[in-house]
Amino acid sequence: MMRSVYLKTLYDKRWFVFGWTLGFVALSVLMTSFFPAMRQTGALDALVTNMPPALQGLIGNLGDLKSFPTYIASQLFDIRVPLIAGVMAIILALGLSTAEEERGELRTLLSLPISRTKLLIEKWLALGTIMAISTLGIIIGILASAPLVDGASIELSTLLHLVAMTWLIMVTFGTVTFAAGFASGSRAFANTLGVLVIIGSFILSTFGQSVDWLSDFEKFSLLHYFPAVEIAKNSIDFNNVVVLGTVAAVSLIIAVILFRRRDVA
Amino acid sequence: MIQLKHVTKKFGSLAALDDVSLKIQQGEIVGFVGANGAGKTTTISTIMGFIGTTAGTVELQGQKVEPQTAHRLHTSLGYAAGDMELPARLTARQYFSFLLHQSQGDHTKQYEALSRRFKPQLDKKIGTLSRGNKQKIALIAAFVTDPDIIILDEPTSGLDPMMQEAFLDLVRESKASGKTIFMSSHYLTEVADVCSRVILMRDGAIIEDVKAHQLLEKSGKSVTIITGYRATRPPKDAIDVTTDAHKNGVSLTFVFKGSAAELQRWVASVKQLQDIEISEYNLEGAFKSLYESEEKTV
Repeated sequence: MMRSVYLKTLYDKRWFVFGWTLGFVALSVLMTSFFPAMRQTGALDALVTNMPPALQGLIGNLGDLKSFPTYIASQLFDIRVPLIAGVMAIILALGLSTAEEERGELRTLLSLPISRTKLLIEKWLALGTIMAISTLGIIIGILASAPLVDGASIELSTLLHLVAMTWLIMVTFGTVTFAAGFASGSRAFANTLGVLVIIGSFILSTFGQSVDWLSDFEKFSLLHYFPAVEIAKNSIDFNNVVVLGTVAAVSLIIAVILFRRRDVA
Repeated sequence: MIQLKHVTKKFGSLAALDDVSLKIQQGEIVGFVGANGAGKTTTISTIMGFIGTTAGTVELQGQKVEPQTAHRLHTSLGYAAGDMELPARLTARQYFSFLLHQSQGDHTKQYEALSRRFKPQLDKKIGTLSRGNKQKIALIAAFVTDPDIIILDEPTSGLDPMMQEAFLDLVRESKASGKTIFMSSHYLTEVADVCSRVILMRDGAIIEDVKAHQLLEKSGKSVTIITGYRATRPPKDAIDVTTDAHKNGVSLTFVFKGSAAELQRWVASVKQLQDIEISEYNLEGAFKSLYESEEKTV
């Protein structure tokens, strides 16, 4: 069981995984159950059309609420999950990097014949695995509740595409914080960077479509590369996978280079 | 072999180590002594490769120690620290399973022998254990892979006297089997007991590097006399003199570094001598006087 840093990390985080997976199941069931009400109401249409354009971005396109795949893409995957997953990513990434160093456990691991690169990579793989297990909660929640909700049907391939991209954006958010933590050893720096990237992405993506001066910067938002409704209507754009994958990979490479050489407190 | 060549380590403008050089041969058991903040843990951290040096080099078995490659040398190295943080969510049994999977060879017999010796609580989560019980696990971890070099930073802090003795027995056995041990400690009697050499550190620099028996010689003798003659003066070479007057006279306590004959002559000259106590082993006093004398000369 305890053969590697990877397995040890998964074991350490088993209750974290359980809790977040359960949370994603509950959120998915809740959002699925709201579908009939959101599809039929005309009151929301009137309310949204009277909102300033900048705030309409918070609700999304009302046309997307009429079919379940685009409803779940816009209301669950496009808004709620990335934010919640971002919080999860920061907590997890800090827990795997700076928190362990602050407690002194990182020195204990480094006193063993484990290279710094291997340690970092195995922890990152554990981060990716934990996020994959947690996102399975979304699939379970939707597949379990959709048959019970009127009109809530979605193709499995569409759902898998949405969840795969959710996992990728979570891993990218998590890797930025994780990398900052390992590269610097500073919780404050890693936390600040992680929050800036997530909140910055959210602001740019939400308001960038309707606020002129922000629209030029929207491509700097990581969420720009996770167009959930487009994925539900068509499929995954491979270019988006490349961008998010590159951000994660570059962050990880920088972390490896700096962590290998720096002092560990 | 452990060797530090002109090692300096700065944290910002603070020099935690200042041009430290030392060499520990294979099979030596060396004690490392100094007050808090003297630089002991920083020295050990550079040897372990937890931190790099600002200047100078650290070598283990002839190979340079650097943070990025230190793990290669850890296959033949054991480490334990008094404030070591072990994985709190694992049981000791799980931790040893993890640790043994990282090393080469089968160390089951060594693990069982050490478990019998220290009797750790193997099936409770490490985070729930007392400091002493955690320390037992750290010590077993340092010795379990039968490494050639063992680095110990305050290894007995938190251990009860029986476990301290069990640990010292283990060090003596390791010495007999040719292991190299570098051990920092606050307990000088412990250091003098098992170490062949003692290095004294102060303000990031080595101020003494002596054989353990030389330290004892340097320590002199702790002398306490009680006399009814209040005007009694201590011998001229006495240091750390304390005088306590009472209704029947005075008690004088001091450290004497001169010869036994000189002390004998002085005792013979004391008037109205009522009682005398001479302690052969006063390492704590030696440490203090060495430390203070160096402080005066700096």
